[in-house]
Amino acid sequence: MELFTRLQESGFAAWVASSPSLLAYPTILTLHTVGMAIVVGTCVVMDLRLLGVGADVPLIALRGAPRLVWTGFLINAATGLALFTTDAEHKATQTVFYIKLALIFLALLIYGRIRRLVFRNPAALTAPITSEARALAVASLILWTGATVAGRLMAYLL
Amino acid sequence: MDAFVEFIRSTQLSEIFRDQVGWLWPLCESLHFLGLSLLIGAAGFFDLRLLGFMKGVPLRSAKRFIPWATAGFAVNLLTGLVFFISQPQQYATNLSMWFKVLFLLIAGINAMLFETSYSDRLLALPSDAEMPVSARVIGAVSLLSWFAVLYFGRMLPYLVPNPRSGV
Repeated sequence: MELFTRLQESGFAAWVASSPSLLAYPTILTLHTVGMAIVVGTCVVMDLRLLGVGADVPLIALRGAPRLVWTGFLINAATGLALFTTDAEHKATQTVFYIKLALIFLALLIYGRIRRLVFRNPAALTAPITSEARALAVASLILWTGATVAGRLMAYLL
Repeated sequence: MDAFVEFIRSTQLSEIFRDQVGWLWPLCESLHFLGLSLLIGAAGFFDLRLLGFMKGVPLRSAKRFIPWATAGFAVNLLTGLVFFISQPQQYATNLSMWFKVLFLLIAGINAMLFETSYSDRLLALPSDAEMPVSARVIGAVSLLSWFAVLYFGRMLPYLVPNPRSGV
């Protein structure tokens, strides 16, 4: 707990939290939403494709998607850390925060599995989509939905 | 504007949204964030194709994701209306809100222009053709304006004369 207190009392956290500059808290928070849109939006498109939307879009066309996912993820890891420092003591006690982290972790695991099973598997790129891939796509949609809702509820739950 | 805000706030619907249903606001915010991810993911996919990425994918096939973008937009229009009806004073005179509306209009006009004037010709292009400048401009305007809508939406609490603490 002492670590979180020290973090929150750091000069950086103070700048993020209370600088009147729009580049501080407001922009970091907004970038966190931009990163979310990129990560979740890209994963949703991959999931929908696996579930039959745009069935005539070749799977190989989505080979650039991982770069987008990681770009968005890095934006959100960085901005997320910065936002965490401003309220570290409190967030470290928030159950819904840990739920959000766990859901993101699981969603990324599923994403990695989908990538290995389908998008980096030359044989799967031209074969019919397996029921395992479809099940993973459904799990991915559920987990990203959960992570998004949990993130939003951090502003409302104790 | 004040009279309009007062009128909206005095309606029964506004009062119910604001005072009777405590969980409505967090629920609508969650849906609003899910809607924006769906909208930006699905529309962004089509926009990237218009910009010339994913060569080999027929534009017609990429367009099959657009109904999902429309669904995301519908969710956000509805939940956005709930926000506005509940707390019109937070939005009606907010500079950020007007920029958001401006970019919504740009995105909408851009999409309409695509449908009415370019869609037939572009959808008929062979899947490996170079995208013409018109397609690239429409794709870029769409992508930029949707991110601008997100930006000014998220900056709503901060780009005002008297910023309230972040929600």
